[in-house]
Amino acid sequence: MVTKMTGILEFKEKIKAFYAKNEVFIFPVVKFLLAFAVLSALNGKLGYMTRIDNAAIVLIVALACSFLPTASITLFAAMFSLLHMYALSIETALLGLSLYLLMFLLFFRVGSKYSLVLVITPMMFLLKIPYVMPIALGLIGTPGAAVALGCGVAVHFYFQTIINQAPTIATMGNEELTAKVRLLIDGFLNNRTMLVMIAAFAITVVVVYLIRRMSIDYSWTVAIVAGCLLNLVILLVGDLMYDTNMSVVGAILGTVLAAVVAKGIEFFRFCVDYSRTEKVQFEDDEYYYYVKAVPKMTVAAQNNTVKKINTQRRSAPARTSGSGRTVTTERTATGRSGYSQSHLTGGRSVTINSESMTDEETDDYEEIF
Amino acid sequence: MLNEERVILMTRMASYEEHEGKKNMAIGRYFRSDYIAIQVIKSIFSATIAYAVVLALYIFYDFENFMQNIYKMDLIAFARSVLTCYGVTVVVYGIISYLLCTYRYAKAKKSLKSYYSNLKKLHSLYNEQ
Repeated sequence: MVTKMTGILEFKEKIKAFYAKNEVFIFPVVKFLLAFAVLSALNGKLGYMTRIDNAAIVLIVALACSFLPTASITLFAAMFSLLHMYALSIETALLGLSLYLLMFLLFFRVGSKYSLVLVITPMMFLLKIPYVMPIALGLIGTPGAAVALGCGVAVHFYFQTIINQAPTIATMGNEELTAKVRLLIDGFLNNRTMLVMIAAFAITVVVVYLIRRMSIDYSWTVAIVAGCLLNLVILLVGDLMYDTNMSVVGAILGTVLAAVVAKGIEFFRFCVDYSRTEKVQFEDDEYYYYVKAVPKMTVAAQNNTVKKINTQRRSAPARTSGSGRTVTTERTATGRSGYSQSHLTGGRSVTINSESMTDEETDDYEEIF
Repeated sequence: MLNEERVILMTRMASYEEHEGKKNMAIGRYFRSDYIAIQVIKSIFSATIAYAVVLALYIFYDFENFMQNIYKMDLIAFARSVLTCYGVTVVVYGIISYLLCTYRYAKAKKSLKSYYSNLKKLHSLYNEQ
């Protein structure tokens, strides 16, 4: 168990070092991969406009997203989805545009930092793990994320409505303008599963956030477990009350998976900290300063030091060395993630210190000033 | 001569100015009442457009019936209900944005206070030289 824990902590330190070293490249690559995945998924799911359902176009746009701000992924995803809707029918695109406009005007105008939730949530639905989102956002976000998540769920169900109604819309003539709009609005707003999910996810985000912030031991773990159970209970009660035809087994499995992913987030939340390499320029009356500030890294490799050697004169135990001395090794560590271990193997006492776990693991990122 | 303590302090401050400080300084340039008033006006404007979009969709949803009944219906009562809904939307959204802006302004000012105290510290370091 101890060895496994040490392995995990060393792995964490390695990732931290890798991140600090290659931070300049990691972010663009992650943005590129995310944009590529999102746009490919959109083309695969909607795909009504064949002209943009092209790997080369997706690749070019994803490359552009890699060096543009993160919100550009949401913008391009919205544009792609609107183009697909337009190819199906102008009414579908008009409704989609209205939906995006409402979301922007009422929420994302002030909560732009959650714009990615809008694209990641439908992706999670596609991967059949939407239950990860409320737990993850409760852990790393604020209660405002509940609104963003609600918008993400709404976007997914709007896509679903389009996919379900597409054959009917395609057969309708251009003159049946209002009929198409009515069909889409009815299909979208009367979707009880969507309403239950939005309510369940919003409540879960807030509860997970509140528990996570409490000053109790293992608050993160308690928050994850409570969040998973609450989410499941609300979904099941919603299913019973409104007959949403939700897959109970799917919800339970998804919730278990959400708990596992949330534990992973808990681990990595402390790993990839915000102390990134900074390159700043400033000046005073005498100098121009071009400073590269690199965050200090703790050493992952075990720093073994012999502290004490005792020669004991007694008869040789089961495993004795030729000199008849007992060797006692002890591992100690500082920090809250420390570990200790003792072995009795020979005739001398040796203490080994491991000072690798001295990183400051704080729950919330405090502002520099 | 280069002063190590000074360089560290200046680096931290420059880093702050580049990241979260940028947003806070933009907020800190306003008086509290001005900042909140501008943000609430922006919110009212946004809520107005959002309400117009929803109203347009509502009418479009049942456009044929609406056009058939437009001469029969009590237009004043309809306009009154539309305006009441608009008023409620704007007031609720305005209150939410007022609370949000008040919180954001207080947070930004608190953050800037620490920044200014560091500026003073830096000034005293230069004077010591």
